[in-house]
Amino acid sequence: MPDRSRSLARLQRRAGRLAETLGDWRGRWYATPVLGVGLLVGLVVLPLSLDVPVFGTRLGALVSPNILVVALLWATAAQSWNIVSGFSGQFSFGHAAFFGLGAYVPLVLSREFAVNPWLGMLAGSLLAAVYALCIGGLSFRYDVGGSYFALVTLAFAELLLYLFINVDQLGGASGFVKPFPDAYGAEYGLLAFQFRETVPYYYVALGLLLVVSLVALAIKRSRIGLYLFAIRDDEAAASAVGVPTIRYKLFALVVSAFFTAWAGTLWSMYFVSIRPRVVFGLLVNLDILLPAVVGGLGTIFGPIVGSLLLTVASEVARESVGIPELQDVVYGVVLLLVVLRTPGGVVTWPSRVAEALAIPQRESESEEPRGPPPAATEGPPTQGVDERRAESDGGRGDPAAGDPSEHDG
Amino acid sequence: MLTLQPLLVGPAVFAQLLVLGVLLGSIYAFVSLGLTIIFGVMEVVNVAHGAFTVVGMYVVWLVAARLELSPFLGIPLAAVLLFGIGVLMQRTTLAPLGEEAQGNKFLVTVAFLIIIIALVEMTFTATPRQLSTGFGSWGFADVYVPEGELYALLVAAATSAVVWTFLHRTHTGRAIRGTADNRQNAAYVGIDVRRIDYLTFGLGAALAGLAGALITFVQPFDPYLGNAYLTVAFVVVVLGGLGSIRGAVLGGLLVGMIRVFGAFYLPGSYYNVLILLVFIAVLLVKPTGLFGGPTRA
Repeated sequence: MPDRSRSLARLQRRAGRLAETLGDWRGRWYATPVLGVGLLVGLVVLPLSLDVPVFGTRLGALVSPNILVVALLWATAAQSWNIVSGFSGQFSFGHAAFFGLGAYVPLVLSREFAVNPWLGMLAGSLLAAVYALCIGGLSFRYDVGGSYFALVTLAFAELLLYLFINVDQLGGASGFVKPFPDAYGAEYGLLAFQFRETVPYYYVALGLLLVVSLVALAIKRSRIGLYLFAIRDDEAAASAVGVPTIRYKLFALVVSAFFTAWAGTLWSMYFVSIRPRVVFGLLVNLDILLPAVVGGLGTIFGPIVGSLLLTVASEVARESVGIPELQDVVYGVVLLLVVLRTPGGVVTWPSRVAEALAIPQRESESEEPRGPPPAATEGPPTQGVDERRAESDGGRGDPAAGDPSEHDG
Repeated sequence: MLTLQPLLVGPAVFAQLLVLGVLLGSIYAFVSLGLTIIFGVMEVVNVAHGAFTVVGMYVVWLVAARLELSPFLGIPLAAVLLFGIGVLMQRTTLAPLGEEAQGNKFLVTVAFLIIIIALVEMTFTATPRQLSTGFGSWGFADVYVPEGELYALLVAAATSAVVWTFLHRTHTGRAIRGTADNRQNAAYVGIDVRRIDYLTFGLGAALAGLAGALITFVQPFDPYLGNAYLTVAFVVVVLGGLGSIRGAVLGGLLVGMIRVFGAFYLPGSYYNVLILLVFIAVLLVKPTGLFGGPTRA
């Protein structure tokens, strides 16, 4: 018995050291770039390695190129959603509005006026940004926040849904089929935004995701990001120390809408036809926000990891059992478990595992209280404030943030 | 192009539209009742509300189509079953999140929405169903009243009266209203707020189930109909003021009227656009709702 407990203690000590190393390493300036480049390289080689054997079967049997495109698509949308809802805590339940505009505008322009979809994407994202300006301008001016903001954004999204259902010139309720590249004088290829195979779409999606992630990272590390997180943590306090809260919330919403439209364009160029319900519907709002929530709210890696996890897990569940609805059940159960068990999201799992193993050892040493696991944040390591972001939120309008046990008292 | 109805219609047509508006509005109000009660007490926007109504619909369908009993038997059954589901959901997932994690609670209800709808679809398939009730309609001097809608109105009105009496005339009901007014003070005067939460969530879910059961009297349904009613319920409760029962009733009637008259005067489903425009306007000018104020529930 004493032998076992000693070896257990040794194991815990080792885990504790690992947690510390992990925490220290995550705090270094090069941690995020190294992880980011690693993730990028992994995603670049992923479609090339579908023949690699895993668990006695091909990797391609678990994930098809199609699923990977869809995963990156929702990752892009979630990354954009995260800019306003994760950073500034303004929980939007209506990003389908921007997604749908991004999906519809390029298709309509290329069908009616033979405009290249890339230009159409720009037009769509500008329109989405203007729409966001209207939504944000009205709601922030009238100080609509929390649950009410979620409902306002939902109403604006549903408004577009019913508008597009009713305007026959835009295809009406049954929508229309995507025009072929020669409809706007182009050949299949990058310039036409249409390909004959799936894999090129994957790399376009990866490129868009990369741009959006870099923009999100730049915002997060800038002064603007600091203001946004201050608004999320305590809007009244941020306003009191002179942060123009309305202006910054508006900025976040507009940028977020602009890039959400990119994901919409990718959607409409990838699939064959479009209908209002599938790009503006209630459930699209959920598809956009869930990867970010599951992965880790307010983090850059969260939406990407969350989207890969959700899409691949639900696809594997569907393929292995053969019941399509099981996909949704897996989706819901994953969401439930993440919210209840790890509100910081999937990105906090490695450090949480190490921490959990290390707790008894730390109590025995008890030299100085360690900070929370820094893995949940990617802010500049020099700012102590940044390290505490993940744990210090109040619950207000800020889903999946903080440890619920903290709020129990 | 848009073909609009002439603005002036005969009194018979107007009376007919008015009656249909009241009938539809009462269903909308009833669907919203549970949502607004839950928000009033717990400040949770319960997205799973739409899924609860769907469960209610299929309970009635089981009773009426599979067991071949009267669909009216399904109504209390749906209420009891959903009361259980609501209490269980509150107990196992929402209560452990503690007092302040409103955003997390919202996401939990989202998860339940997804899971419940998927399970219903797995069990009953997505095929639209309709009760073969054989309901007709009654005519009163050029105005006809569809029978199914009338039963729905009567059950909804009776249930609402019972709920109102419960909330205003019983000790437990007053405790619920007290908790809605101020949770902390309610706890100070000895109200078991946790128990009130279970009860409220169960009550809200039961009302959603009842509403779903009544919807089967009125229209065909599929597992996704709950989402449409969820959006309507959001609009109604915000119009009336989140947490206000009187507001839910008046908001429901208002939305019902806009929909019926909008469907008459405007082409297609533009009435939905109209409803949402009114919703956005009210929300921006008076976020506490038309009838909402400092007093709730």
